[in-house]
Amino acid sequence: MRISARILPPVAAAAASLLLAGCETLDEPAARPTAPRTAPLGDQRLVFTSERDLVLAEYRLAASALRAGNYTDAREKLDDALRRIGGLVSGPDDAARRARGLFTAEREKTFIGEPYERVMAYYYRGLLYWRDGQPDNARACFRSAQFMDSDAESDSFKSDYVLLDYLDGLASAKLAADGSAALARAEKLAKRSLPPYDPQANVLCFVEFGRGPRKIAAGEYGEKLRFKVEPSRIRSATLTVADHNLHFLPWDNLSYQALTRGGRVMDHVLGNKAVFKKGADTVGDLALVGAAVAADNIYKEKRRVETDEKGRKRIVREEDKSDGAEAAAIALGAIGVISKIASAATETRADTRTWDNLPQYLSFAALKLPPGEHPGILQFYDADGRVVADLTRRVNLTVGDPTKDTVAIFSELPR
Amino acid sequence: MNPSTSRFFLLAGAALAPVLFTGCETTQGVRNPSGVPVTEMRPDERGFVAGTGIESQDLVTVTDKMARSIVGIPQIARAQTPPSIVLEPVVNNTRFPINKDMFLTRIRVGLNRAAIDRVSFLDREMMKTLERERALKQSGQVTASANPNGPSEFGGADYFLTGKLEGLATRTSQGTGDYILYTFRLTDARTSRIVWEDSYEIKKQGLEDAAYR
Repeated sequence: MRISARILPPVAAAAASLLLAGCETLDEPAARPTAPRTAPLGDQRLVFTSERDLVLAEYRLAASALRAGNYTDAREKLDDALRRIGGLVSGPDDAARRARGLFTAEREKTFIGEPYERVMAYYYRGLLYWRDGQPDNARACFRSAQFMDSDAESDSFKSDYVLLDYLDGLASAKLAADGSAALARAEKLAKRSLPPYDPQANVLCFVEFGRGPRKIAAGEYGEKLRFKVEPSRIRSATLTVADHNLHFLPWDNLSYQALTRGGRVMDHVLGNKAVFKKGADTVGDLALVGAAVAADNIYKEKRRVETDEKGRKRIVREEDKSDGAEAAAIALGAIGVISKIASAATETRADTRTWDNLPQYLSFAALKLPPGEHPGILQFYDADGRVVADLTRRVNLTVGDPTKDTVAIFSELPR
Repeated sequence: MNPSTSRFFLLAGAALAPVLFTGCETTQGVRNPSGVPVTEMRPDERGFVAGTGIESQDLVTVTDKMARSIVGIPQIARAQTPPSIVLEPVVNNTRFPINKDMFLTRIRVGLNRAAIDRVSFLDREMMKTLERERALKQSGQVTASANPNGPSEFGGADYFLTGKLEGLATRTSQGTGDYILYTFRLTDARTSRIVWEDSYEIKKQGLEDAAYR
């Protein structure tokens, strides 16, 4: 029975860890609610999406819809997502508060995305406003997007999207206002001169290529948010339409934007969680070893030699119980088990939910075309300047309503 | 099992049980786990879902103030005949995309409700429909209560009412701040003179949860 006493604390700890593991929610993908609910926005694709992942799902669906030319769907998803993140980024949020707790993972917070993801939501919505003949609302979106990028750790990386400032100025020029300040900011960021604004240009072409960054959890306990960046096969594109041959080089790089954001406040919170997890684990180890040693000393075997009445000697074994050792074993065992449980239950992993159908590079060109249909050819090029034949496609630019600019969005990404 | 082992089991079990069950309580610490019932609020009331952007209470406050301000100016209060006003779209120069028509629509509704005998608005949004109707009357396809071939009776504007929203956004480690200046003006269509102008400013600040920073 002494053996049982010695192995009891580790066994209890293991059992407790197993039991608690049963309480843990799934990592990726997010757990689906068991019972269907009313689909958000009446979209059956979102019926099983949990509230905390809804914005992420809307981001992804909006990007796909944009590329498929389903602008109504994209508008609807982006509007809802922006409404949600607009409320969350300027006030207390229960889910976020819980995510800061020791025993709740960061991924439990309502997803709004890292700044580069929020920027892209505003950017895409801006393109749709422009397409709908509302350049001032488009400009508002570009400004909000640039604003989302303003909390980078280093001042040199704050609000440093070239295209957003350029489009801000272009919208102002279209509205007969002065866009020169925004153009100057864009040129300063780009470190080169950019095409001057032509208010008569009525076709705006937005081209995107490459795959956006992926989030990964690094560090001993996965507490550090890092980004995985794959080099893009595509480095530039051309659009040949009517007499125009437009060349699209990257204006902005989302991977660069993700990497230059710098440390987050949440990284500090997760770092503290990791310190606690490690500390609790160490305390648990020490306490359980101490409990085992104490348990080993509860019963001391004593041997003595007895002589019976016939003068024969024999060895008599006796067990001497130590109450102090027993109390110590119990106390240390309990501390060890609780520490182990606390360590196992501490959620340190960084939130790696990613808007995974974003591009890496954004590019832009504007041109003037008369009303009507304008067929063209879009080609993508690799790093050596060779045409990537499988991505070459015929496109059609339709210039209709003279009161609105034609906005064309071309992506290397299929969806 | 000796008595001390049994006691150990009992004590450890008693200590562990609440910890384990607490961990399994999925809604622990969740406020309003079943949601919040739909709450009807006044549009000028600040709701529990709020940001630093342009919201309904701002719209109500601004448009009420503007409607009250316009109706008191001499060009309207002392006009012999109610002047005709045409609404021109508001210019949004903030970082918040908005439905700009809502501002002027609410000012128009406020003025029409409070001073319909002192001011009249021309419905330029309906111009295409009105022109089509007039053409139908002129062609005799529909009836007309007056001579459709006479001079046009579409009213001309005495004044144009428009506005502009300007914004200034600040972001530091202490939070996000948005200042918005709402200005509206009434311009004489004949002289281009601004006969009335008023403004309203709102500043909002907030700090998002550390989990989002």
